[in-house]
Amino acid sequence: MLSRELVKEALRRALATGADYAEVFAEHTLNKSITIISGKTDKIADAVVSGVGVRIFKGTRCVSGSASSLAPEALLDCASRVADALTGTAVVQDICLRERLFGDIHPVKIVPAGVANAEKIEYIREACLAAKDYSEEISQVRGIFAEVDHNILIATSEGLFAQDRQIRSRVLASSIASKDGENQDGGVNHGARKGLELFSEYDPKELGREASRQAVTMLHAGYIKAGTMPVAIENGFGDVIFHEACGHSLEASSVALGQSQFAGKLGTRIANTKVTAIDDGTIPNSWGSMNIDDEGTPAQKNVLIENGILKSYMVDKLNGRRMGMASTGNSRRQSYSYEPTSRMTNTYIAAGQDEDKDIIASIEYGLYAKSMGGGSVNPVTGQFNFSVDEGYVIRNGEICEPVRGASLIGKGSEVLMNIDMVGKNVARAQGMCGASSGSIPTDVGQPLIRVSSIVVGGR
Amino acid sequence: MRSKSVPVVSRGESMALASEICRLRKGMGIRMTYQEFKEAVVRYAVENQIADYELYYTESESVSVEIFREEVKGYSTEDRMGICFRCVVNGKAGYASTENRTEEEAKSLVLRAMDNAGSIESEEKAFIHRQGDTYAVLEEKGMAVPSGAELTDAALALQKELYQADSRVTDGTQAYMAYSSEKYALCNSNGLDLEDRISCSMCYAIPLVSDGGEMYDGFKNKMGDLKDFDIKAIAEEAVEDAVSTIGAESVLSGKYTVIFSNKAMATLLQTYASVFSAEEAQKGMSLLNGKEGEKIAADIITIVDDPMYPDSVMKRTFDGEGVAACAKNVVEGGVLSTLLHNLKTAANAGVKSTGNAGRLSYASVIGVSPYTFYIRPAEKEQSEAADGAAKKIPEGLFALAGEGIYVTELMGLHAGANPVTGDFSLASKGFLITDGKKGAPVKNFTVSGNFFDLLKEVEKLGDDLDFIRGKYGSPSVMVRNLAVAGKEE
Repeated sequence: MLSRELVKEALRRALATGADYAEVFAEHTLNKSITIISGKTDKIADAVVSGVGVRIFKGTRCVSGSASSLAPEALLDCASRVADALTGTAVVQDICLRERLFGDIHPVKIVPAGVANAEKIEYIREACLAAKDYSEEISQVRGIFAEVDHNILIATSEGLFAQDRQIRSRVLASSIASKDGENQDGGVNHGARKGLELFSEYDPKELGREASRQAVTMLHAGYIKAGTMPVAIENGFGDVIFHEACGHSLEASSVALGQSQFAGKLGTRIANTKVTAIDDGTIPNSWGSMNIDDEGTPAQKNVLIENGILKSYMVDKLNGRRMGMASTGNSRRQSYSYEPTSRMTNTYIAAGQDEDKDIIASIEYGLYAKSMGGGSVNPVTGQFNFSVDEGYVIRNGEICEPVRGASLIGKGSEVLMNIDMVGKNVARAQGMCGASSGSIPTDVGQPLIRVSSIVVGGR
Repeated sequence: MRSKSVPVVSRGESMALASEICRLRKGMGIRMTYQEFKEAVVRYAVENQIADYELYYTESESVSVEIFREEVKGYSTEDRMGICFRCVVNGKAGYASTENRTEEEAKSLVLRAMDNAGSIESEEKAFIHRQGDTYAVLEEKGMAVPSGAELTDAALALQKELYQADSRVTDGTQAYMAYSSEKYALCNSNGLDLEDRISCSMCYAIPLVSDGGEMYDGFKNKMGDLKDFDIKAIAEEAVEDAVSTIGAESVLSGKYTVIFSNKAMATLLQTYASVFSAEEAQKGMSLLNGKEGEKIAADIITIVDDPMYPDSVMKRTFDGEGVAACAKNVVEGGVLSTLLHNLKTAANAGVKSTGNAGRLSYASVIGVSPYTFYIRPAEKEQSEAADGAAKKIPEGLFALAGEGIYVTELMGLHAGANPVTGDFSLASKGFLITDGKKGAPVKNFTVSGNFFDLLKEVEKLGDDLDFIRGKYGSPSVMVRNLAVAGKEE
């Protein structure tokens, strides 16, 4: 993408005014997404994203700049512009860039960019047709295929010169069921750090039917009565509860500034002893995986919480300086135009000892949250929320009628203590997570869990 | 801050670098100016017998400063640009976009767009807009461009005021200042050649308050001209936002009269703005499909879409297809007067485009989006004082409500509010309304309902119109009988 000599010169310019660390991040990315509506290709977005981001550190102060170009003069201008924000003389004199190969633990069998639109369209169309055929109540189906071919180069004044190519593919189907002027929707998606081999792993018809099943189920559901109650949260995307209630508050971007409910709590108990939670960027071909993070640190498996005890935060280099901690390989950015910061990769609650049937049977009256939507959190107060896309009432230990419109809210530090049953069967699911360094692919996962008491919003 | 760069290249290095740049130019192509790139794209389009095409170009420059404790934590400058080429082949639109202005990329852009056009199966016809519209002219307001140093000084001053506003303000408090200027340009094969420029300064105050071992955060932002920012007032309002929530508890589950604050209601309007899109409606994703001319809201509701709203810092004269932007009432006296259209949806419906072709970014395919979009407030009461004072608390609504909840913030709208169904169930915070007055702070509860029902059931509007993101606005609104989930008795 860029030569070592050029990058070295950019680093040298960036360091000219007294920074103690400089970094060049360059990117050339192909993004494509194909949308099918009513069984026909409706829109195709096809974008090349390319540019450079330069950062310098002086202690815990950071200056950054970015430019939409890979031209040598654009990089050098950007480096000079960044240096201009400091006043001083160079303290780092010699930069010796050594190319490093980290290898690729995420093999890709079929590179999406090399395959014609038609093949991608056929897969999505099949999902859409199956979704439409599921029921006469299905009024609309939308299918999306999205591919990313993300090429990055990272060089630092510490001598690192490394590149990585990250290919991701994702398929989504969403259905709308309608009756008597009312709409309900359902949706399913699968994504991986893979190419089009993803198609052979998921039957498109299954994808479409599942989206429609959810929509039709919810169309015939009533609303849950609002209140505080026990909730059983299904595996897979259910872990959005951990992502919001705890994950964001363990990111150094909040912790380093004292903006987290869990700042200063390392080594103490912050969750029920049944909870062990892990962030692992090294799971082969997983949606949130990397070879190296966006600062060039190799991805790691980090145990965040072990049997309820807080073991580690997720740390990037800049916040690590403030915290006196090394990077944990969690620094991520959507693109060159965002400054990277600590983010989650593949985060999950590890398998426990409880049987699924015991978890359901233990609840006299509560909610079984089978499928979850997104959520959000304020890391300062720990107040989080997430929505339940498909829920059922539990009565006398049995799953009963479906209910719509529920959302779960609470305070992270309290809810973590209330996770008092943890099942054995971990499943993972894919999402996009938005924060200060942009929208990035993250994976969540968990077995079926029980939260003994949580506020369920309803009617 | 210094303004000049220091050349540090020694002679030998510089030679090596020059040859390197030379080699790279051969390999990767030279970065062209936009004009050169545009000409190259047009040349390739003509070569490939494409008669109908359009180039959409955006460019932005921004500077931002972030303060932590008493010092500059981050300083960032950004130069962004992107180009989207859209061609219409056999009535189908193909898109391709890039940030890489080279000869090779110009060629690839045209070929990618043609290939994508060939894959489109939808029978809806795509259009390249013709000349003939009358466009508004953006007045040059002569806003001063703040230097990096001026932004930094303002941010440091804001941080200082935040700490001074209350003794409980603690580390973790942050002040941000930013300035950004943007250019939007569109030219097409029918000879349209349009350009809008907008710029503004932004300021964010995010105080952290510690009390009794608990942390509370506040927020206040402002967009406009840096020199118009009242730093002290912004800081005080932000800190008041945090301090007023100290000691908040949950509320008992039940049905309540709810007053949504202007900003909370604006957040809801933003989330449901897509239901007014003719594109969503025609695809069966909005329940307002076919409801033009019907009563969809209470008589007191009028919803306006105005690209030239006087206080807006994002005024626009043309939309994402080059159609003249214009003001319209989408809902008038509770009746849906029009959905928002682009050329394609307008042709499908047999109406004129409302000039609402939207592009989320230069790389996005054309959809539909509003400009400054707001619920018209009630007329100001005679006794009300100046503008600023009236914006604070909707006293009249409190008195009318008697008992209830004043919701000042809604969270997690991307998940808890569904534009397809209209259902929402949202984590909220705010204040109790007791005896017709603002009472104790409350948090950790949800408010649930349906947006379409809510529009019909709004009983009273305030006169305190305010905006979020400089774009979506509403006065406070009062609705009875909403479901609230909190603690149990």
